[in-house]
Amino acid sequence: MAEFLETHALTKTYRAGAARVAALCGVSLAVREGEFVAIQGASGSGKSTLLNLLGGLDQPTCGDILFDGSSIMPFNKTELARYRRHSVGMIFQNFNLIPTMTAGENVNLALAFGGFSRAGRNRRAQELLGRVGLAARVTHKPSELSGGEQQRVAIARALANGPRLLLADEPTGNLDSTRALELLELLREMIEREALTVLMVTHARELAASFADRLITMKDGRVISDSG
Amino acid sequence: MPFFDLISLAFRNLREAKLRAALTTTGVVVGVAVVVTMLSLGLGLQRNAVEQFQDLDSFSEVHVFGRSLFSLAMPEKVKSADGQVKPTGQTVGGIPVEKIPVRSLSDGMLEEIKKIPGVVYVKPNIFFTAFLRSNGRTMMKTVGGASVPDPAARFKEFSAGGMLSDPTAEEVLVDEDFVRDFGYGTPSAAVGRTLELLDPSADAEGSARPGDVRVARTYRIAGVLKDERDGNRLRGLLPTANVFLPLQAARGWKDEHLDSLSRVALQLARKSGSVGPGEKFSYTTAVVRVTDPSALTSVRSRLTELGLGSFSFADEFKQMRTIFLIINSSLGLIGAVSLLVASLGIANTMLMSILERTREIGIMKAIGAEDREIKLIFFAEALMIGLAGGVLGALAAWGIDETANRLAFSFVLKPQGARYVEFFSLPPALWLGAILVAVLVSIGATVYPASRAARVDPVTALRHD
Repeated sequence: MAEFLETHALTKTYRAGAARVAALCGVSLAVREGEFVAIQGASGSGKSTLLNLLGGLDQPTCGDILFDGSSIMPFNKTELARYRRHSVGMIFQNFNLIPTMTAGENVNLALAFGGFSRAGRNRRAQELLGRVGLAARVTHKPSELSGGEQQRVAIARALANGPRLLLADEPTGNLDSTRALELLELLREMIEREALTVLMVTHARELAASFADRLITMKDGRVISDSG
Repeated sequence: MPFFDLISLAFRNLREAKLRAALTTTGVVVGVAVVVTMLSLGLGLQRNAVEQFQDLDSFSEVHVFGRSLFSLAMPEKVKSADGQVKPTGQTVGGIPVEKIPVRSLSDGMLEEIKKIPGVVYVKPNIFFTAFLRSNGRTMMKTVGGASVPDPAARFKEFSAGGMLSDPTAEEVLVDEDFVRDFGYGTPSAAVGRTLELLDPSADAEGSARPGDVRVARTYRIAGVLKDERDGNRLRGLLPTANVFLPLQAARGWKDEHLDSLSRVALQLARKSGSVGPGEKFSYTTAVVRVTDPSALTSVRSRLTELGLGSFSFADEFKQMRTIFLIINSSLGLIGAVSLLVASLGIANTMLMSILERTREIGIMKAIGAEDREIKLIFFAEALMIGLAGGVLGALAAWGIDETANRLAFSFVLKPQGARYVEFFSLPPALWLGAILVAVLVSIGATVYPASRAARVDPVTALRHD
């Protein structure tokens, strides 16, 4: 199978006062389309940094990222925004829903950036929330939803503009084990149904191992083991 | 993101912070209200002044002067001893030589003036004094000539009756003084009555015995001219008359009734050849009406080329405009300061809002918002604040203006018996302009906050708490 996502010697350093801190040191990875990859490691191991770089939220100090065979390095800010909009979906540990908007409006906002018409948006938001089992929660605000439900709204939003890559930054971190299990089942199902590739950063090693196709372990900004 | 969605998103954001949005908007309302009120005061003052000038036909009339009969009788006054015209730069009686009319205002000259582009008509000024008899009383009154029709402002309003029906009609117009002096109770009582112009009986010595006064002409009173509302009986440069005859009739009378001094002057002028044998000399000034004020300058320079003197109020008006420009600028500046304060309020609100919404901005970026779209969301909010503030501010200014106008009328003008005057003038261009300025100022105040919002780093904004 062709490589869907590749990184070559990906490095990110931050300036902390006079010192330079390397968050990521020469990470090279190759992910196939449809793979469910779990990335684990202690905090500060660089896994979130890796995810932000892959998601186009941040730019590497050096190295290269190839999405579907072409590099995203030459992208300017607008092209990166469009890459985030159409090619990648992201979910986060703390869900990052807009608290003043209902579930439907949160999904709707992503669709609006994606250029959907008003009528098309409402239909699609309803459909996306239906797919994550929240058809009845469209008009609820995040504060009226459980953690698991909020994360599903986030998944619906991440999938709004039909991305092929889903980046999940500790999506189960704020969920109890039952909800975490349910969420991973949903993600697994999405991979099968939507032909999605998922990279998930997690602490829950056992849980991840049972759902993911591949487990990558990071330490101090480097990949120290890779089951794939 | 489509414009309408931006607006609805902006509206939602403002609704989430109602009090802050309301306070910021209030700042704009106050700013706009002050600007509009100040400027409407300036404009009101200017409009009142301009209207007074326009009432006097000052912008549509040029007064033209020909060489007077007396100067024609004494050509040496302008020419030097050797018969040459004095060079420019010298003065005669305090008037620069080049400004002294060198041509007389003959009938032929009037025809030439008529041909100048922008001239509507030219009307000789004919005024004389005569003894009049009407309603059994005899009095001395000033008599003038009126064209039929006559577009001058003084022939616009009648207390009774109307304009002379025909240039050759045996009709006159009288003023309200005439009505009073001749004992007609009301203006309408005078209409249709007769008026006689008196002439001495012609005898060999030119002296008339009592009872020998001849009724030279008899006219029917066609209309009574309404008095000027503030008692200002001067129109343009000219004194008014109590009675107006059709122009040709008035001219005929004046030609036949030259005073003895003028008769001597005419004879001297004819003898020297300055005035042709058959030429009459019943007027030395005329009113030239122009199509619109912009034609004044070109018409006046042509009149000078023709060798005539001229005068118009438009020159005075140019100075007046400069004065009002200064007044309006000063008033506008006061208003601008309050708008500036309002714009600082907007900038502050927007910056606060960005701090509060950093995470939200990060989220929007993560789901694919472009920097441009983030900026536009903030600009849309500014647009709404500016628009709401502008509209409400303009309404507030309108309320202030109306109230002030009415108060001024009730407590100042009415007790003095004066008519209603709009001290504050609020033309649509002013309030529409103010709304536009409010919107632009709001957007301007958001340029920096919006670019800061666009620069929010999503990684930092989304970092776990």
